[in-house]
Amino acid sequence: MASHRGGQHVLSDSGPSRHHHISYAVPHTLHLPSNTSFINQEGSAFDFEIEELEEAIALQRVKINNNDEAKQTLYTARPRAATIEMFPSWPLKFHHTPRESLKSGEDSVCSESALNTLASRGDTCTATGHRLQPLLPPETQPQMEMVSSSDKPTTGVTESQLDAKPNPPKRRGAGSSSDKVLDAKTLRRLAQNREAAKKSRLRKKAYVHQLESSRIRLAQLEQDLQRARSQGFIIGGGAAGGNISSGAALFDMEYARWLDDEHRHMSELRTALQAHLSDSDLQIIVDKYIAHYDELFCLKEVAAVSDVIHLITGMWTTPAERCFLWMGGFRPSDLIKMLIAQLDTLTEHQAVGIYSLQQSSQQGEEALSQGLEQLQQSLISTIANGSVNDSMHQMAVALGKLTSLEGFVRQADNLRQQTLHQLRRILTVRQATRCFLVISEYYGRLRALSSLWASRPRENFIADDNSCQTSTVLQTLLSSRNQFSNF
Amino acid sequence: MHYQAELYGNYYASTVRQSAAVDPLERVVRLASGSAVVIFSLSTCCMCHAVKRLFCGMGVNPTVYELDQDPRGKEIERALMRLLGGGSSVPVVFIGGKLVGAMDRVMASHINGTLVPLLKEAGALWL
Repeated sequence: MASHRGGQHVLSDSGPSRHHHISYAVPHTLHLPSNTSFINQEGSAFDFEIEELEEAIALQRVKINNNDEAKQTLYTARPRAATIEMFPSWPLKFHHTPRESLKSGEDSVCSESALNTLASRGDTCTATGHRLQPLLPPETQPQMEMVSSSDKPTTGVTESQLDAKPNPPKRRGAGSSSDKVLDAKTLRRLAQNREAAKKSRLRKKAYVHQLESSRIRLAQLEQDLQRARSQGFIIGGGAAGGNISSGAALFDMEYARWLDDEHRHMSELRTALQAHLSDSDLQIIVDKYIAHYDELFCLKEVAAVSDVIHLITGMWTTPAERCFLWMGGFRPSDLIKMLIAQLDTLTEHQAVGIYSLQQSSQQGEEALSQGLEQLQQSLISTIANGSVNDSMHQMAVALGKLTSLEGFVRQADNLRQQTLHQLRRILTVRQATRCFLVISEYYGRLRALSSLWASRPRENFIADDNSCQTSTVLQTLLSSRNQFSNF
Repeated sequence: MHYQAELYGNYYASTVRQSAAVDPLERVVRLASGSAVVIFSLSTCCMCHAVKRLFCGMGVNPTVYELDQDPRGKEIERALMRLLGGGSSVPVVFIGGKLVGAMDRVMASHINGTLVPLLKEAGALWL
């Protein structure tokens, strides 16, 4: 029977070697030459198992030709199954046999070789190691190949093939054929098995690769989303749970565009300073910068009408800016304080002007803050004192008070705008260029700090996820610091 | 800061014949010339509170007219609104009889340094 294949070693692509090994396949008691009939009348279960396996593989991988007639001669009791049956009619006997070193290596033999082996030898190839190795006569054990393939599908296939009802092997069909023809067929089958296994491997590799790239992309998307959320930029509908108004969303978009312009202006200021342009040229650039800020205040005015609370809570700014938020924006006196430290070449007149600007901005801030506080107190008492009967009226009054928030934010923005204009008036053109560059860089750094803050590792176990973010942000910061150092 | 509660009463005492027919704007002008710093306000308005705090913080003692406590306050409010060209009627600030404007104008003039000289000129500030 399959004896000629039984207990064969792994791969034999070459005919002669196989022949050589075919001789081994035969139980030693028989000592059949390679070209003798394959029928092993000793009929051990082993033989049938080998047979089953080989057939199963052949059916699985290769188009089975109609060799039925030949097979019938060998297996009268075994009708050829059209499909592979999953479970054997008789169980395999399992036992671990030592393996001889195989041509293609041992544990890492691929499924291809396994299939080849199975196909050619009817070996019980076990894809998962020694589990399924059938019981073999001792003398065939050395040739028994244990293939441990990590290829799961192949494993399944292999196992199923192991369990499959034996079908007359194609080779059987050549019972009357010469060895040469058999070899050809075997060769063809081997080759086809190899190709099929290769294709399967490639498919698996491609699939895994696709999974990996999808995973990376998903992680990046999540990171971007988190960053955008932390900066309060939810563009489009309903991303933040639907609790961002359209006016606020519109303002966020416009502000994002304004920030891009801000970067452009900042680099323009820097190059203008380094290029030592004439005063008139600098004037143009400075005026453009002031106009750029005026534009922001216009945007904020529109946003205040539609959603003042969005401005006041500062969801449109970065976290670090939000820390120092005053009435929906920066505090003018803080800006002046920062500038006083940075601007050193001031005339006495200018110094007086700057200090009085600091004082007046502080007084303005104080007045507005007190006004806002009174508004809060009034709102609290309105909401608290509403009686059941009067509730609708009280709510209307409260709503009216809330609306007057808009006036405060507008006045605060006005204060900021006036402060910037006054700075421009006090300083010379060159000083003003430097001053606005300082302001721009300061807020740039504050925003970078916010990014770092947002991506800082919060726990040890998610440090890995965040560390790449932090490192990229740190890289950005380091590269931008080089630019700062010029100033 | 001193409040003129009996606007109508004072006015009536001074000019009986013209009490009913005076143009509110004229009243405004007359009232504004009466003190160095005059603020027209509403007691419920928080922005008016802010402007009052601003002047008090500078050491100025403004004269405040609460229009909601004046029987003819509504007319004055309307007149002020016309004067300012729309928007809110209060607060409105006059310094030395001259109109400065609403809160934004007051803030702007303070930032650009014109408010203090104006106050000094009107005699509201001595420092």
